[in-house]
Amino acid sequence: MQNRPSGFANPWLQLTLSVACVLVSEFLLKRGATEVANTDSAWSWTGINGLASPLVWWAILLIIASFISWLYVLRHIPITIAFPLSRVVDILVPLGCWIFLGELISPLRWCGIALVVIGLALVAKPIARIEERL
Amino acid sequence: MSFLAFFFIVVSLVTFVAAQLILKRAMVGTKTTGFRNAQFVWKATAGIILMTISFFLTLGLLQRFDLSYLYPFQGLSVIFITLTAAIVLKEKLNLRLAIGALLISVGIVLVSLS
Repeated sequence: MQNRPSGFANPWLQLTLSVACVLVSEFLLKRGATEVANTDSAWSWTGINGLASPLVWWAILLIIASFISWLYVLRHIPITIAFPLSRVVDILVPLGCWIFLGELISPLRWCGIALVVIGLALVAKPIARIEERL
Repeated sequence: MSFLAFFFIVVSLVTFVAAQLILKRAMVGTKTTGFRNAQFVWKATAGIILMTISFFLTLGLLQRFDLSYLYPFQGLSVIFITLTAAIVLKEKLNLRLAIGALLISVGIVLVSLS
């Protein structure tokens, strides 16, 4: 317990920061990629032409930030726990659309969100034990 | 969905999963050997190259399909990474973790379908 990294070095804080950066970058990427979409070109399968959008560059900066946090997380937390937890972003995206953009969430989507929350709770349960070992 | 689209979705998924496992190995290694050694540089470089390939393939797919259509495939990465980490990295995988990962995957698929 005495060796546990605290403050900004806390791996759980870094995991949260990583998820926040991914969340924002997902929106930026979709908007940026759609803005400059040119599906006629065979090269567009590689996604290279997405670089023409400034939004994609902002997203890339956020992805690099999240990547550095993620590497730190990988150093301290087993990937079988860290990765499933990081996918909380998959329900934060539709929840963000619901809260901030006023989009409707269908009953099926609510069921999906509920399943993810239960799954996250199951994965997060052993965290207390890992905390003790950190 | 065309064969080409399916092919690129699978390649982006496989490169992403492989990158995560290699990076995990690289970072765990730094605990004993530090960052200044050939093993770390080699693994980190391989991981970053694989992540970059996966990133650009996803960007190419996003130009053709809705995010909601591509998301179920990202959901599958939870199951793949959990299983391969248990097999390749010998991480402990109990029933609770496996069911948790499965529920998250199914949940992500449902969120994207609706």
